Amino acid sequence: MPGLDELSQHKSDGLRTAARHPVPKGEPILEMRALQKKYGAVEALKPASITFLSGEVHAIVGENGAGKSTLIKLLTGVIRRTSGEVFWCGKLVQLDNPQEAIARGINAVHQEVVLCPHLSVAANMFLGDEINNAGLMRKRAMTEAAQSVLDDLGFNLPAAATLGSLTIGQQQLVATARAAMRGTQFLIFDEPTAYLTRQESAQLFRLIRRLQGEGVTIVYISHRMEEVFELADRVSVLRDGTHVGTRKIGETNDAELITLMINRTIEQIYHKEHFAVGEPIIETRGLSGPGFEDVSLTVRAGEIVGLYGLIGAGRSEFALGLYGRHAATAGEVYWQGRKVNIANERKAMDLGIALAPESRRDQGLCLNLPIGLNINLPIFNRLTRGLTINRQKEIENADRQIRDLKIKTPSRRVLASAMSGGNQQKIVIGKWLSHGAKLFIFDEPTVGVDVGTKAEIYRLFARLLENGAGIILISSYLPEVYELSDRLHVFRRGRLVASHDYRAASHEEVLTQAIGV
Amino acid sequence: MSAETVDSGTGPAPRKGVSILFGLTLLGLLLFLWLLLGLATNSFWTPNNISNLLRQGAMTAILAVGQTFVIITAGIDLSVGAVVGFTSVIVAWLLAAGVPLWIAIILTLAFGVLIGAFHAFGIVRMGLPPFIITLATLTSLRGIGLLITNGSTISITNEAFTNFSRADFLGVPSLFWMVIVVAIPAYVFLHLSRFGRYLFAVGSNSEAARLSGVNVHRTIYLAYILSSTCAAFVGLLLASRIGIGNATQAEGWELQAIASSVIGGTSLFGAVGSVHGPLLGAFILATINNGANLLNVNSFWQRIITGVLIIVIVYFDQLRRRGAR
Repeated sequence: MPGLDELSQHKSDGLRTAARHPVPKGEPILEMRALQKKYGAVEALKPASITFLSGEVHAIVGENGAGKSTLIKLLTGVIRRTSGEVFWCGKLVQLDNPQEAIARGINAVHQEVVLCPHLSVAANMFLGDEINNAGLMRKRAMTEAAQSVLDDLGFNLPAAATLGSLTIGQQQLVATARAAMRGTQFLIFDEPTAYLTRQESAQLFRLIRRLQGEGVTIVYISHRMEEVFELADRVSVLRDGTHVGTRKIGETNDAELITLMINRTIEQIYHKEHFAVGEPIIETRGLSGPGFEDVSLTVRAGEIVGLYGLIGAGRSEFALGLYGRHAATAGEVYWQGRKVNIANERKAMDLGIALAPESRRDQGLCLNLPIGLNINLPIFNRLTRGLTINRQKEIENADRQIRDLKIKTPSRRVLASAMSGGNQQKIVIGKWLSHGAKLFIFDEPTVGVDVGTKAEIYRLFARLLENGAGIILISSYLPEVYELSDRLHVFRRGRLVASHDYRAASHEEVLTQAIGV
Repeated sequence: MSAETVDSGTGPAPRKGVSILFGLTLLGLLLFLWLLLGLATNSFWTPNNISNLLRQGAMTAILAVGQTFVIITAGIDLSVGAVVGFTSVIVAWLLAAGVPLWIAIILTLAFGVLIGAFHAFGIVRMGLPPFIITLATLTSLRGIGLLITNGSTISITNEAFTNFSRADFLGVPSLFWMVIVVAIPAYVFLHLSRFGRYLFAVGSNSEAARLSGVNVHRTIYLAYILSSTCAAFVGLLLASRIGIGNATQAEGWELQAIASSVIGGTSLFGAVGSVHGPLLGAFILATINNGANLLNVNSFWQRIITGVLIIVIVYFDQLRRRGAR
């Protein structure tokens, strides 16, 4: 990458020069010895010793709360360790602030993009490292340089565009390019594909292999087993803050890794029970709206209807349309055989539709409000007696959902923002369990959710079906919809393009229909 | 991975506890100021001065309560000072035209409702930021008021009306009683009714509130109508107190109200606030002004002190919130 070398040359302090002399491929570049982190009395990371070899892709897997984030923060200097040692290129280092980590060539690409959405792509790539001419920024030079880097990486992104106008996936590619052009020796990816389309993931994987080819050491954190097996040379497993093992990728398989992560088998995760399918709950005929067109499908009592497609295929838009968030432009909806017009969300709720939306952060939760308030939000009208809310009932209902769903919190008064992804999802589900519904729509219910909670959520599906409800399950993760759906519909560009019965088509067939090649 | 923060048992302290604690510290600050002024001056703890203090704080306190409803929805109402001046003109005009007192009062309050509804309409239907729409009414209402009065003032001759603000009830100024008349229903509304919960939910994440069946538009209408109606009510009290209707009165009161609310622990980012906080905030500000007058502090200094106080109080409030995390 000639462009990159040129760009990183204009900055060369002592540390950076040191970082530009990596150890030979296959030798330890970073070594943790009994690295430990305690928050108060709790060990977020028990003394762990992991060695990262120069030029390898080292995957780290584990459930949420297993200590992966703690590990990243320790290695990037965001938090200080409680005890233990870190050796960088064979030398003992402090790594107690982010600047030191960056100067040594250790960088991280975070799951949530931490860049400035209002600045251009080029400005973001050069942020804090601008090309100056006598104190004035050389905007055009930066845009050209950034463009050549992006083109060189094969990203097909405009360097002059405003970052915020790109998809989250594209923004992540920009963040990666940013890290790549800063002379990075050691790059950590924190679940990078969570928001990426397949195409963007493929671009990212190409970039990772390319960086690896140039001798950069990659640490790759992911929930998705198939990515780990596609990319990694070695994989380390964390469980409950403990490093439970490191394997060469050729000497392990996903069953072993999952067992290491959670002590459970795959069959136990995708918990599926079959119930007698009952009367139709909802039927759409030629329904169209913003983002989806001409969708006809039926959900019956006791069945899970899966909607699979790429991000942006119109599944979430269809769900929001069904829920009355956006007005339909054409088509009809029948609720238990009766034609209905779902004009707004309240109407949908009153019919008996519940929606656990795609984004917990943007649509699902009031993050800076207490868990209890979130759980009770749909039913305050029921909790009200006269002018005021019945406090007793409010408390009882919140505590019951917290107990039933095993939400890990000391109190219903803790803010929703303090919860992990899995527990936040449980709060969203708790809202709708206390409200009650005939049709539950779960849009990406397990994104950012740990394997243990996933299994709990799937068991909950079975319980809902048993009680005569129907479920629409939207997921971009094929194994999930594939293993759980009684009927699987494939979406592409806003249209329903194919339908399959339970396990009737192969993964490849479904994927091909979703991509449309 | 925020799970770690939770698992370690160091999650944020319960919200309610923080709110009460903050209320207590503010009350402590207020009592401390009173004690200090009592020691430093002979005239502070006189019935006259206390009555005066309660009157001074009363109007800001009522404005601040209304303002807090709006700020909790992550909005802002810059128009309240202008509404006070405008409605003082309206009531004086109606009385001068011979409209019976109680009808004049109801009509004036109805103007408050209309102004608030207009704000909400601008926000909900026209998609204007709250700052802009209320800034626009701030200037236009002053203009309309000046047009009505032709730039001068309208005297109020109705004695029953003007005597009200000077009267006492059970030894407490009637203006202060009005604070209680507003604060109790406001407390029930914000802390005990579902509409209060909806204000918080809308301020925290309006899309999540909407998808949970909350009528977001209605909630915004409610907040702005309540704020403007509180302001119209203060307009009545002010007209009663000064005996005239004058569109240029209450200049800068919107900032006093916002300051009281913020001192009282309301977050300008929305979803954090209470009724007792802004009340205490308003009386802290009134006490500082009152004390400064008694101590013969230059009134220019009063403004500086108020500014410094806002910074200090809000800074410590944020420190504690962060510390609780």
